[in-house]
Amino acid sequence: MVVHIRREQDIATARQVVKNFAQENGFSLSDVTKATTAVSELARNIYRYAGTGSVCLRRTTRDRGTPGLEIVAVDRGPGIPDVARVLSGGFSTYERSLGIGLAGVRRLMDEFEIRSEPGAGTLVRAAKYRRGF
Amino acid sequence: MKDQLVHTLTAAQQKQSLWEEFLAQLSTPGGPSVDSLEPLLRSLGEEEVCKGLKRAADAVPGASEAELLRLALRASGRIRRELEEEANHLRDTLRDLATPMVRIWKDVLLVPLIGSLDSVRAETLAERLLEAASASRAKVVIVDVTGLPTIDTAVGGFLIEMFAALRLLGTSVVLTGIRPSVAHTLVKLGIDFRMVGIARDLEDALRMSLELVAGEEAQKKKHSGLPWNTAGEGNHDAAG
Repeated sequence: MVVHIRREQDIATARQVVKNFAQENGFSLSDVTKATTAVSELARNIYRYAGTGSVCLRRTTRDRGTPGLEIVAVDRGPGIPDVARVLSGGFSTYERSLGIGLAGVRRLMDEFEIRSEPGAGTLVRAAKYRRGF
Repeated sequence: MKDQLVHTLTAAQQKQSLWEEFLAQLSTPGGPSVDSLEPLLRSLGEEEVCKGLKRAADAVPGASEAELLRLALRASGRIRRELEEEANHLRDTLRDLATPMVRIWKDVLLVPLIGSLDSVRAETLAERLLEAASASRAKVVIVDVTGLPTIDTAVGGFLIEMFAALRLLGTSVVLTGIRPSVAHTLVKLGIDFRMVGIARDLEDALRMSLELVAGEEAQKKKHSGLPWNTAGEGNHDAAG
């Protein structure tokens, strides 16, 4: 499923889609909130820095078929010059942000990958799996 | 079953009378007006009206499809403007409804935050809250975030800014309504609300607020600078 991010309202749409998906797949309340917040963070980054982009949601599985939710956020925005610095937290080019967004997404999700090229765009892939017993 | 049938039949009848009215106008010398197309568009939709107009233009001599479509476009524009106005009005109403501010005790304002906060709503909310806090001379504002579905860094950052601004007005802030799942997420995001008082629930929040108000009142009495007060303190010091 793809949610295009063009307007600020699209962030809320992305959030809602992830929330429904996580709930339907039996994620715990806490993990629903974490995945929802992570996607909110990613969608907002797209809206703020790149203007437009998209958030793709996909069902995925881990070893022995644990269901999970994969989020891929892509944009063709300005890119991040120093990814390591952004991930260490406390760095942001946007005045209002706390500068802890991406680092937070990494902590909220089980898997996190980022590829960014200045001038070309950014791709973030993150996944969260349903916990076993 | 019967109700459905009745509904379908009356809908068809209504359609028929709408077209009849329009076709009657079509054959008058002045031609149809924008007004006559409006009800058609409203009840049948653009798609069906377009089809109908094409057939009417083909069947009625002297009727131009382009002219009819131009009229339809105008009628459609009128409807759209009307809807836009209505949407604006609803937005305004929603904005007022979505940010209630309740004076629940002397000097204590309760602000339950509801729904998702986009930048426009957040900005309006902050403005209104600061105005209300200042106008009511509230000593404490209780902010209840039970109704916020997610608190990401943007919303968290906005709240922190709002709390800082409230404190500049001399108002204390008590935060309540953080759900367990949200609490964990906030810690992972590194959002820290410890600069304000945090209460378990509304009851706790009210108790804390009353203590804050009482504390401030006691402090005022102590530092009121009345002559007998300072004199008394001075004497005490001298004696000690």
